[in-house]
Amino acid sequence: MSSDKETHFAQLMKQHKGIIYKVVNSYCQHQDDRQDLAQEILTTMWLAFDKYDSEFKFSTWMYRIALNVAISYYRKDSRREDKANNDGDLLLDMAELSQEDNSAEIKQLYYFISQLDKLNKAIMILYLESEPYDSIASSLGISKTNVATRIGRIKEKLTHQFQEKAS
Amino acid sequence: MNIDDLKNTWNNQSTIDTSIDINQPLLATIEVNQQMRKLESMKWRRIVESVVFFMIIVALWQYIVDDFTMSAPVISACILNVFAIIGLAGNIGQIALISKVDYAAPVKTLQQNMFEICSHNLQITRLVLLSVPFYMTYMFLGFDVLFSVDLYQFLSDEMVMFYAVSSAAMLAGTVWFVSKLSYKNITTPWVKWTVAHIVGEPLLEMAEFLNNAETA
Repeated sequence: MSSDKETHFAQLMKQHKGIIYKVVNSYCQHQDDRQDLAQEILTTMWLAFDKYDSEFKFSTWMYRIALNVAISYYRKDSRREDKANNDGDLLLDMAELSQEDNSAEIKQLYYFISQLDKLNKAIMILYLESEPYDSIASSLGISKTNVATRIGRIKEKLTHQFQEKAS
Repeated sequence: MNIDDLKNTWNNQSTIDTSIDINQPLLATIEVNQQMRKLESMKWRRIVESVVFFMIIVALWQYIVDDFTMSAPVISACILNVFAIIGLAGNIGQIALISKVDYAAPVKTLQQNMFEICSHNLQITRLVLLSVPFYMTYMFLGFDVLFSVDLYQFLSDEMVMFYAVSSAAMLAGTVWFVSKLSYKNITTPWVKWTVAHIVGEPLLEMAEFLNNAETA
């Protein structure tokens, strides 16, 4: 029974692993931090898995947890702490933001996201996932108007940055 | 180039397929993680503090009941008991809040809960500051407990007036100061400095996040 749960969880994680990858790369600059944050997100999801409410899309539930953990993550005191397990093995191995992946566009996009504050990072990620404004507002607990205003500003800033790069 | 042009690129990052490898056998051994461990240790600290507050309340109550007169030491014990009851209620609230932390809640809700949990030292500081104008209660009670002397009987009218006026002035000052120590005022430099020194950088980040979330 318990192994069924692990298998089911692992399968869902495989289907949606892009969520962890994207959130972690958006919130952390260094590979050690990325690895640490990814472990923390995965363990939080695993520990909360029994309470997953199937009324929500699984990806929405994952995004909420991933963003909550990423926003609460404080590098200064978490860097030196133990990993999520005791024996030194890693629960999760995360690839580096690879050279081959990434088109200049993606690199530039991650660079741009890294310059945003924590809330705007979350908005940007959900927007890039084509989440509607009311779903973004509900996941973040802020008003739809607030989301729309922020997306407008982010778009402006991004356009400006791309224009600067191009010139 | 704009943000909408990048949606496709974002959703087709080629490394995603090989990005994460989960060690499935290890899953079953995971019972707690860093953040939950921190919350669990906070919960135990709050439980210990609650026991201490409870013991103070019982001791003060015992003192009041043993010699129930309208004397300065008994009134002082009643006032200090009120602060201890507020402290105990705050701790019980914290324990309840820690128990219901839900990482699947909307981001702002979780951050507000975490802010309240992590700002416990700030709340204790507020409580201590609010008790400062009542400093004479410690004196009255201390003299009675240690020397069986009702200090109030030895104070002249001028001294009583001085203590009353100074306490009232301090009360006005501390109420103003305490009301400012909130995340809503985190952009005010001295509030930011005070919060950072009492509770540290992580709480400051949370306060800035919440403040930011409330402004479009």
